Amino acid sequence: MPAYSIDELIITCMARELSGEVLVSSVTALGALAAHVAKSTHAPDLAVLSTPESGMDAVPLPTLSLGQFLTDNQRAIPLTMEDIFDAIFTDRFRIWINPAQIDQHGNVNISVIGPWDHPKVALVGSRGIPEDTSHLSQGLYYLTSHSPRTVVPKVDFISGAGYTPERAQWLGPYGAPTCLVSDLGVFGWDPAAGRMVPRSLHPGVSADTVRERTGFPLEIPAKVPVTIPPSAQEVAIIHAADPLEVRKLELLSGKEAAEKFAVIYERERQTLHAAWPRRRH
Amino acid sequence: MNKVVSCDDVVAEIRDGATVAIGGSSLSRKPMALVRALARSGRKNLRLIVNVGGPEVDLLIGTDKVAEAIYAFVGFEVMGLAPHFRRARQEGSVRFQEWTEFTVMAGLDAAIKRVPFLPTHTGLGTDLLRVNSAFRTIQDPFEGQTLVAVPALRPDVALIHVNLADSQGNGVILGDGHMDVLCAKAARKTFLSAEQILLPERLQTYGRDVRILRTLVSGVVEAPWGAHFTGCAPDYRADLTHVQEYLAAARDRAAWHDYLERYVYVSDQDYLRTLGSERMLGERLRV
Repeated sequence: MPAYSIDELIITCMARELSGEVLVSSVTALGALAAHVAKSTHAPDLAVLSTPESGMDAVPLPTLSLGQFLTDNQRAIPLTMEDIFDAIFTDRFRIWINPAQIDQHGNVNISVIGPWDHPKVALVGSRGIPEDTSHLSQGLYYLTSHSPRTVVPKVDFISGAGYTPERAQWLGPYGAPTCLVSDLGVFGWDPAAGRMVPRSLHPGVSADTVRERTGFPLEIPAKVPVTIPPSAQEVAIIHAADPLEVRKLELLSGKEAAEKFAVIYERERQTLHAAWPRRRH
Repeated sequence: MNKVVSCDDVVAEIRDGATVAIGGSSLSRKPMALVRALARSGRKNLRLIVNVGGPEVDLLIGTDKVAEAIYAFVGFEVMGLAPHFRRARQEGSVRFQEWTEFTVMAGLDAAIKRVPFLPTHTGLGTDLLRVNSAFRTIQDPFEGQTLVAVPALRPDVALIHVNLADSQGNGVILGDGHMDVLCAKAARKTFLSAEQILLPERLQTYGRDVRILRTLVSGVVEAPWGAHFTGCAPDYRADLTHVQEYLAAARDRAAWHDYLERYVYVSDQDYLRTLGSERMLGERLRV
């Protein structure tokens, strides 16, 4: 048995993509923990935002309802929405996005399954993804379940722009996809061809499995590297930063997820206060 | 001027067909007491403007108040999709315009600046330009770049919940401001609900946390727990147990009817009483 779980492997791969002195969003637990691992190891200058609200230089503590309280208790630096979007427009922002669908050209969808006008399933709306895919020099995506339903030939709706004819004409490299981390491997894009290419497959994952669980023909070279697994130190950082295991909610569903959810919601105030005692205004 | 009013007084200022911008974001600081008052009123054909929407949009669609919604997002985060929003999208019973977080802000900003649009790269290369005819592409007159023109969004009314206010309509926001100041500046009339109304001389001691200026505000309601079941930092967190109850009810016609009778077609005092005593609410939700 490896001494790490799949969420810890995904988080560590995500962490390795982050560098420099930029704001890093913590809008999901996996994104927050990736930012925290990177800052704690190779990228000390990252300006990590609190989970899931917008205080800067916070130590992420993934919770369901306490993002702003984390900002307050830690005296993180409060940011406005203008600060966030100006950081996006000036490429001083990174965010790991968890799309419902991603395609071979790196287009992503969180808006709708089926046609937009007559949805089979109306999801949530494009949120802030179009901002990211027109401005950032890194387009970062992750999936906890790589399958033909999530990694598709063509997304039902382009919430975020991959390599499209419009990109070539209007955007150039700004906001192009650069990395997908899934439960099977790490993938990139060839900018010239605008197509997804494997960078490494996770330990124990075969090329055949990746082909089966990818919705389009993906060329996998015989000599594709194996992903370097998380170190004991990286795993320890994740465990310490997420004692309630909020990260596991992104991999669970149904009854298991509901039970975990209830336990986390019940305990998270106590966990916050133990780690970061409240300081009154 | 004393601008203290009731939730029902605010609803009386909103016409059928009005464009209503609603502040807050996701499950944070939504003006839910005002939204519930609107939900139990006879208003119809409202046009909503939200950024990261959720319970407010879903409740107003679930009570047939909405003709059109402009949104960047509508959902309940890790808790799930918004049932009434989803049904209305799939059945086509309400008109929808999908925008994005920044473009909603830019639309409000254009209205504030009295310009017809503001330009951005946001949206280029996406299908938003195909499904949302409000967005147009334009050539910039200087370098000839193609940009998206975001049209001005001019709300008739903005509804905002704040931590503290005074009777003149100044508002203190202690947590994330979201896009509330833009809503207040862009709307023809802005109404606040506040956890507590303080004397003006006390409110002024909050300095830079006074984010909503009285010159923008037409009325202010004192509404303790007025953001419930969303959170209002640093006072209380979102009531995710109630969110689960809401979502279960909204997915089932009979249960939805019961939910409305229990939580919406009631006074704010009865709403809080049904949730338990204020002490019990505090134990569950104060942080």
